[in-house]
Amino acid sequence: MNASAQKLAFASISTVAESIRRKELSPVELVRASLDRIEALDSKLNSFYTLFRDDVLAAARDAEAEIARGHYRGPLHGIPIGIKDIYECGPTTCGSKSLKDYVAAEDCMAVRKLKQAGALIVGKNATYEFAYGFPTTKSYFKPARNPWNLAYDAGGSSSGSGSSVSAGLVYASMGSCTGGSIRWPAQCCGIVGLKATYGRVSRAGVYPLAWSLDHTGPLARTVKDATLMLQGCAGYDPADPASANVPVQDFSARLGQPIKAMRIGLMRSVYEDNCDPKILGPFNTALGEFERLGARIVDVPSITLTQMQAIEWPALFAETAAIHIDNVRHHGADYNPHAKLFVAYGLLISGACYLMAQRARAQVRDQLLEALAREVDVLILPTVGFPVSPVLDDSPGLSIVAEDFSVYTAIFNFTGFPAIQVPCGFDTDGLPVGLQIAGRPFDEATICQVAHAYEQVTPWHDKHPSL
Amino acid sequence: MAVKETIVARLAEWGLVLNENEIEQLVPAYENLLRWQSVLESMMQSKKLVAGMTAPANEPILIHAIERKGGAR
Repeated sequence: MNASAQKLAFASISTVAESIRRKELSPVELVRASLDRIEALDSKLNSFYTLFRDDVLAAARDAEAEIARGHYRGPLHGIPIGIKDIYECGPTTCGSKSLKDYVAAEDCMAVRKLKQAGALIVGKNATYEFAYGFPTTKSYFKPARNPWNLAYDAGGSSSGSGSSVSAGLVYASMGSCTGGSIRWPAQCCGIVGLKATYGRVSRAGVYPLAWSLDHTGPLARTVKDATLMLQGCAGYDPADPASANVPVQDFSARLGQPIKAMRIGLMRSVYEDNCDPKILGPFNTALGEFERLGARIVDVPSITLTQMQAIEWPALFAETAAIHIDNVRHHGADYNPHAKLFVAYGLLISGACYLMAQRARAQVRDQLLEALAREVDVLILPTVGFPVSPVLDDSPGLSIVAEDFSVYTAIFNFTGFPAIQVPCGFDTDGLPVGLQIAGRPFDEATICQVAHAYEQVTPWHDKHPSL
Repeated sequence: MAVKETIVARLAEWGLVLNENEIEQLVPAYENLLRWQSVLESMMQSKKLVAGMTAPANEPILIHAIERKGGAR
């Protein structure tokens, strides 16, 4: 691939959008470049299940004509993006053999909004089965590979979204997140993942995993690009019972503003006794960078990893079981073996345990809201506490409910707070490491301000995998 | 009742029958779940009533209340 094609593939949405707006770059040209790159590289990555070749080229021609007529819709107009394959939009398999032939009758709300904003849907991205069942090399749908090292997993469950954006196949992709499924693949693939506040983006038409924890949001290569994507899909939708009828912020309004004197709350109790040193090194270096930017790191008392797991997993798997039990009875043989086991696990959780998890959740949420009201402006944590894992050949069983599965993202799912993952370096094996910044509900602009300030003084977002 | 038998009985209530290997995998996960139950119980704040009697000090989140609590400034 020549240097100019490479440069175009890894350009930011805002850069490409400006060229489109000025009519210096055609959406058709951009989509062709995206499709060419997918054709050249995706046999190694498995990041797409479905490509909408003809439809997206037709949409690109329409966009070009519309812009030529002087009707430019905004920064997503003419931008090729991907959609996780649990969003209803054409063939929608949820990464499961049981839905291999399902085709959605209509687009879900988030996709409709993105199309209205002018985004061009190139195809459907690979996902862990129903957003939780890790694929293995023996699965019906093969695992998406990590562009930084093809022997490694892309993280999940928005695995194809992470892989394709990191590899420069598309400019962004929509993911979903119940315990960390936007931020974890973003960390594994060295990109940005933005989980907006619970209720900020409609989940109507997105296959549920656990209703009270499910969120949607974008993965992109820069903080600014993530805000542009969120702007394109956020907003109230009465079709989603959890949708929040609140004003939509200008998510990029504070990008570029200094973070001097801002108070960043460090939740040490979550990670300090269990985080792998390969992660801890880059994370601690990043804390120093925030201090150099003039922010203050303030310790915030919080819960432990075990307490986080005790709240997240009973809530998640009880809700998952309620969603999947009927399908598992009828199509259990089509599920990955461990995906079926997780449903069985959810059936073992008692009503009292589920409600106790919900009570503990309310308690933690209130404590953190209090801290955000009085002591700090944002919260910070490593994204996860373990390095990127190799692609699996065999079922991992119920490993994610084991004690050492140190995913620190879940706390912002069960509190519902917005959280953004940004890359903060590489581990000793050359695989990406990330951190997450969370903040007050419906204040995505502030967490993006802090993440952007960090991004601008570090080189990580300019590093791309060579494939 | 042993853990394995408990698991089999509970799943049978839902009409789900798993093989021996699958049940074996559920045993340590179930034991971890029991541990989490005690972790959750120890996290709960309760209001003291009289000796040995308490009332819960907080209500579960059945729907999110973050629209009303906290939020952007």
